[in-house]
Amino acid sequence: MKKTLIAAALLGASTSAMAVAPGGPGCGWGNMLFEGQSGMPMHLLATLVNGTTGNATFGMTTGTNGCDTSGALTYSGQSLLGMTGVMEEVAQDMATGDGEALTALSVSMGIQTEDRARFNALMHENFAAIFPNQDVTAAEVMASITDVMKQDQALSKYLA
Amino acid sequence: MRTGLFCVLLCWFMPAFAATPSLSELAETSRWQALLHINPGATLRDKHQSYVDDDTFFLADSGKTDPLAELEATERALRAADSPARCRFPARYRFLSEHLGWQHEAPFSHCDDYNEWRGAIHAKRAVLVFPAAYLNSPSSMFGHTLLRLDQGEDSAVWLSWAVNFGAVSTEADNSFFYMYRGLAGGYPGRFALVPYVQKIQEYSHMENRDMWEYTLDLEQSELDWLIDHLWELKDINFDYYFFDENCSFRLLELVEVARPGSELLSELRFAEVPVNTVRALDERDIISSRHYRPSKSVELDNLRKQLDGAQQKLARALAEDPGLAESPAFKAEPEATRAIMAAVAYRYIRLTHRKEERTPEVAKRSFALLTLMNSLPAAPVPETRNPEPPEKGHGTQMLGVSGGQREGEQDFGELTYRLTYHDLLDNQYGFLRGAQIEGLDLTLRSTESGQVKLEELDVVSIRSLAPRNRFMKPLSWYVEGGLERAWAGRRRLVRYIQGGAGGSWLWGNWQPYLLTSVRMENNSEFGTFLTPGAGLDAGILYHRGDWQWQLGSVGHYFTNDEYRSSSQFAVQWAMTRQHGLRASLERENRRGGYDDEFKLQWRWYYD
Repeated sequence: MKKTLIAAALLGASTSAMAVAPGGPGCGWGNMLFEGQSGMPMHLLATLVNGTTGNATFGMTTGTNGCDTSGALTYSGQSLLGMTGVMEEVAQDMATGDGEALTALSVSMGIQTEDRARFNALMHENFAAIFPNQDVTAAEVMASITDVMKQDQALSKYLA
Repeated sequence: MRTGLFCVLLCWFMPAFAATPSLSELAETSRWQALLHINPGATLRDKHQSYVDDDTFFLADSGKTDPLAELEATERALRAADSPARCRFPARYRFLSEHLGWQHEAPFSHCDDYNEWRGAIHAKRAVLVFPAAYLNSPSSMFGHTLLRLDQGEDSAVWLSWAVNFGAVSTEADNSFFYMYRGLAGGYPGRFALVPYVQKIQEYSHMENRDMWEYTLDLEQSELDWLIDHLWELKDINFDYYFFDENCSFRLLELVEVARPGSELLSELRFAEVPVNTVRALDERDIISSRHYRPSKSVELDNLRKQLDGAQQKLARALAEDPGLAESPAFKAEPEATRAIMAAVAYRYIRLTHRKEERTPEVAKRSFALLTLMNSLPAAPVPETRNPEPPEKGHGTQMLGVSGGQREGEQDFGELTYRLTYHDLLDNQYGFLRGAQIEGLDLTLRSTESGQVKLEELDVVSIRSLAPRNRFMKPLSWYVEGGLERAWAGRRRLVRYIQGGAGGSWLWGNWQPYLLTSVRMENNSEFGTFLTPGAGLDAGILYHRGDWQWQLGSVGHYFTNDEYRSSSQFAVQWAMTRQHGLRASLERENRRGGYDDEFKLQWRWYYD
């Protein structure tokens, strides 16, 4: 493994790495529902490592899963969505109207506790607009969320 | 009276008025020792030296072995206002400034990297996370631990940080070298800080491991010590030993930095099984609450169990063809049931395809199901009833005493020791059902005439009986090897390795299993050095309350025309968490005869 990648994955990786593509190049915790996040199958090595020792620290520390873990020192809505697997969880939560992924998204967008129920309801109502098809990208999803919030009196203030 | 009060007041204020403590006194304090990761005697390796295996961590040449020399060097290096060493050792600076009364204004103003990093970590709470065992990898029963730093929002743990200690390997290493070097200490270990959401993805979603989250009762100032010290460990190498100096051990050291003198590492720890980390923290009242996070497959199971057989079948078909949502059969169900079926179908398809390459076809089906879910009311996942916390399970080591009778031979007594960890008859509480892992299981037998002989030595025995159902079709398998007594003219000690694969099912409390089995045996009575054999391993488990029953048979036919099988009926009563009573009746068949054996065993689990 390249030393640079190890270093980037470790403590104190720079925020500038947020420019890295969603999930990082070749980052794969498996197949994701949405385009732009199509992972690769989990490394056989990673499977063996987990399977033979019960200690799964390797993936993160060495990049055996190909993940660049540096992209999220500070979360914004965009970078959270860009992380592998998160968009799928957000989609599921939006489809049903509640869940940890949706909460994380609203918190990362700075939405206050009192407005979160409103946010969840709005996302639930507009699911079809935000996720029009399975090939939607994180950037498009974020743009649609912004559009929907703009139309809402209680939530538009968070876009300022 | 008055002088007495004066004395009390004097004593009270003494520390404040006292002359600054000498460096040699400070070097002995538990905080300084914790900051340097000095081994207080927890392992025999590097006793009273630092565990850190990295020159850049020490400012004195003899820093690894001499805490005082390191303290003196640190004091010299950190005193200057623009000292670059301050930016590397903020916790050490805090230690010195508090004890030596340094009054520097904005001591880290020149430390851009540290300030940026520190500003991004707003931890309000520390949580120890234990991803529990998962089936089809019984070695995961050893588990793993990491630390989660929450930014304060109870409901937004996806935005938390995970502090993980792991070995740094090279990609070229194959798993064999990984195991060898991991055990032998060939890899450096490092701390990493990663988004917790990635850990959820990794454990709960990909590996289907339940996660247990234990909130630590640490105050803000204690947390600050921990985080400042984490920065000091950036890019710092430790030795990594799989058995003792592993992920769990290192986390205890971090807690020791946060709360020195908690004596988490005061006892000798031969093998640090991660669940014992939880126990160690629990015993010292550092854990304030516990939270269970079910894996994706447990959630699917909980959802599915709300449906009857026909509805499950329909949900399964819906996953293959979302168009069935328009079928009369689907539409005939009440809305709430339709919602559950849609959720089951969607979760099933995501679970089964998660580890594969994305295909347009699967993505299309998944999306159709997601849209269907959106059109129906939400179907909340029912909570797992009484999840069993792993730290409440039986101890990791076991001592057994037994007595029994063998047909045609004298009565016998036995002594058994097992280093680790759990078999299918042991008390199941807190353990994954159907998973067995044993390492170093030794039994000595003595007969009435007093001879003591090795009866059995299991080097390793792993068994994974993963139940199959309409949605999940896992393979069950086992592998074991060691020394045991087997018939070859007489009962002889033979060396063997055997394993196999097959299926297992769960019907209420009953769990039948059927596995093929192959065996390689080294037997001095057989003509060849290694004699292969093949056969079956089948049986049924029954669990109820504190009672665990097993009826099972395993038989092999060898290439030299030998035939052998053994059938066993056994029951264990889990009297208490740490004590069990086991009775077994065994028949060993061979070509032209058989022997019966009865045995009663008391099993004591500890550590």
